[in-house]
Amino acid sequence: MKVLKFGAIWCPGCLIMKPMWQEIEKENSWLKNEYYDYDENRELAEKWQVNDTLPTFIFVDKDEKEIIRLQGERSKIELLKLIEENRDK
Amino acid sequence: MKKIAAILFAAFFAATIFLPLKSFAVENKIIFFWAEGCPHCAAENLFLEELVSKNPGLSVEKHEVSKNKENQQLLIDWSKRLNFDANGVPVTIIGQEYVLGYMDGITDSKIEGFLTSSADITSSGEVCIVNQPCGDEEKSNHKIKLPFFGEIETKNFSLPILSIVIGILDGFNPCAMWTLLFLISLLLGMKDRKRMWILGSVFIVASAAVYFVFMSAWLNLLLFIGLIATVRVIIGLVSLGGGIYSLKDFWANKEGGCKVSNNKKRKATFEKIKHIVHERNFLLALLGIIILAFAVNLVELICSAGLPAVYTQILTMSNLPTWQYYLYILLYVFFFMLDDLVIFFIAMFTLQLTGITTRYSRISRLVGGILMLAIGLILIFKPSWLMFG
Repeated sequence: MKVLKFGAIWCPGCLIMKPMWQEIEKENSWLKNEYYDYDENRELAEKWQVNDTLPTFIFVDKDEKEIIRLQGERSKIELLKLIEENRDK
Repeated sequence: MKKIAAILFAAFFAATIFLPLKSFAVENKIIFFWAEGCPHCAAENLFLEELVSKNPGLSVEKHEVSKNKENQQLLIDWSKRLNFDANGVPVTIIGQEYVLGYMDGITDSKIEGFLTSSADITSSGEVCIVNQPCGDEEKSNHKIKLPFFGEIETKNFSLPILSIVIGILDGFNPCAMWTLLFLISLLLGMKDRKRMWILGSVFIVASAAVYFVFMSAWLNLLLFIGLIATVRVIIGLVSLGGGIYSLKDFWANKEGGCKVSNNKKRKATFEKIKHIVHERNFLLALLGIIILAFAVNLVELICSAGLPAVYTQILTMSNLPTWQYYLYILLYVFFFMLDDLVIFFIAMFTLQLTGITTRYSRISRLVGGILMLAIGLILIFKPSWLMFG
């Protein structure tokens, strides 16, 4: 399982989520994740249909298929729960 | 039957004895200057209508001054003739005497007393007499005692508190925030801390200046137009629309995320900011930052959902001295910029870019929406509630 994170430098919600994700990644070193700046990666954003709200977090399985999509500011507890539930996918 | 006839006769006889005492032998015409939305005028109008109904020989000549330029001129003419300041209403003129302001139980009995006996209405020294507007006396009725602060007049605090609340709510509007965040992100990448501080501060000060200039211009336009009911109702409707928009946004954007738009202007602005920040000539960079702040903030003003317009309308209605208008606008702008200042200072001291959680933006949407709905309704139906002067 991998998490694709889409954010932007101008988005306050993305800035709030950044340190939270750093903590999660530190606590779960096995977790693969990729961050994409929306303005610098428009093609990829379009491919994943990120065209409404930022930040957008897309959980994808080993076959790069979308499992879950989250938007906006989320709590650490919610993110950890979802990561744990989908760890083996 | 005879008894009833006797009672009726006695009543009629008594009335004919006492009525002359209430008739207006000295003056039979009152000139009444009033303004729409003025609570004291409305109270006096009721009193005068009652007075006329009781005394058919009396006539009241009414002149509305907030909408009618001729009536304003007429009031000025009277003020020059009788030597008083024509700053406030109601103004009542009886013969060669005048009364400024109105207060139930005081001004009405004086007017009646003057009409029946030609007593000098200016000489009693009580409240609501010549050169003493009613508002001043009313203030003394709205004092509260607070620990540490002692006795304060609530009316003196209403407008500053409203300025702070609306300023903060307007400040949480994220429209112009993205430019500052992007600018700070670029500044953090620079090694020259002095340049970081100067460029960032100048952007914030220039942004505040744009807002101040815009609000001052709007205020002067409203003051020039005068207290026209149509303008007040239009701004009330704008406030209602802004309130509905804010509440809709609060409801629709539950996740509190940032809305993405394929805004080409935003990308162009990013490129300009990059160019300005990396400009080697410091003075050119400074000039670029000032122009950028003006351009961005003017474009994004529309995003404020009419809050500055609503606020300046309230200021106009409060009939303040000129310097106080600008002081209140400064207060508003300071609290409008407060969140930007907090983000900038945190970034400069910690070298980390932080945002204010969008949950606060959502709360401000909810509070702002309710406030704007309330102000809109008050502006349309009860404007006197927003007259703080």
